[in-house]
Amino acid sequence: MTDSVRIQEQDFSQDDEIAALKASSKRMGGIATFLGCARDFSEGRDVSEISFEAYGSMALVEMRKLREEAIAKFDLLDARIVHRVATVQAGDNIVFIAAGAAHRGPAFDACRWMIDELKQRVPIWKKEVTPEGESWVTQHP
Amino acid sequence: MIKILFFGPVADRVQTREMDIEYTDGMTLHDVTHKVGMLHPGALSIVSFIAINQEQVHDKQIALNDNDEIAFMAKFSGG
Repeated sequence: MTDSVRIQEQDFSQDDEIAALKASSKRMGGIATFLGCARDFSEGRDVSEISFEAYGSMALVEMRKLREEAIAKFDLLDARIVHRVATVQAGDNIVFIAAGAAHRGPAFDACRWMIDELKQRVPIWKKEVTPEGESWVTQHP
Repeated sequence: MIKILFFGPVADRVQTREMDIEYTDGMTLHDVTHKVGMLHPGALSIVSFIAINQEQVHDKQIALNDNDEIAFMAKFSGG
């Protein structure tokens, strides 16, 4: 079974991630997921591709902390976080987050919390390639 | 030796991803920040986070140890 928290270049399978989450507990009654994917348009410009860079060792530590905190804060049964660090095209997957709880409420809340926290705390940067050139992205809401 | 790491937009500004600074007794994060600022004027203006050994720090007076790894980072934009 793959690790619950990963940074990887290759794409991931949502089905595989959800199956791994479900396998962790039969008490899971609600799973909420977030899939972040690449857009072809940003801040009024066409975007042809997006490249990611990470401070890998710190990013992994922060993502593991984030998962542990989410499990404790929302009483989750399990959670998974996978982030790609690669050059991706429009429509490609970037990040996947899944929260599994006994009921839907905590699963929804935890999923939202994890992606919001990831954007604030995990040292990953994205650069958009546009017809006008390349530019690093400052935070998106 | 202190290893300094730059990522993303900061690396673009300093035009390198890594540099070493000789460690001296009593060295603080402020000393290293000052040195980086002198070597790469303008780079620090986009630095929002500094980490020592993968742990974010806020106190510039923190004492360093030989072989510490210091990362200068712009605002994150993952996800």
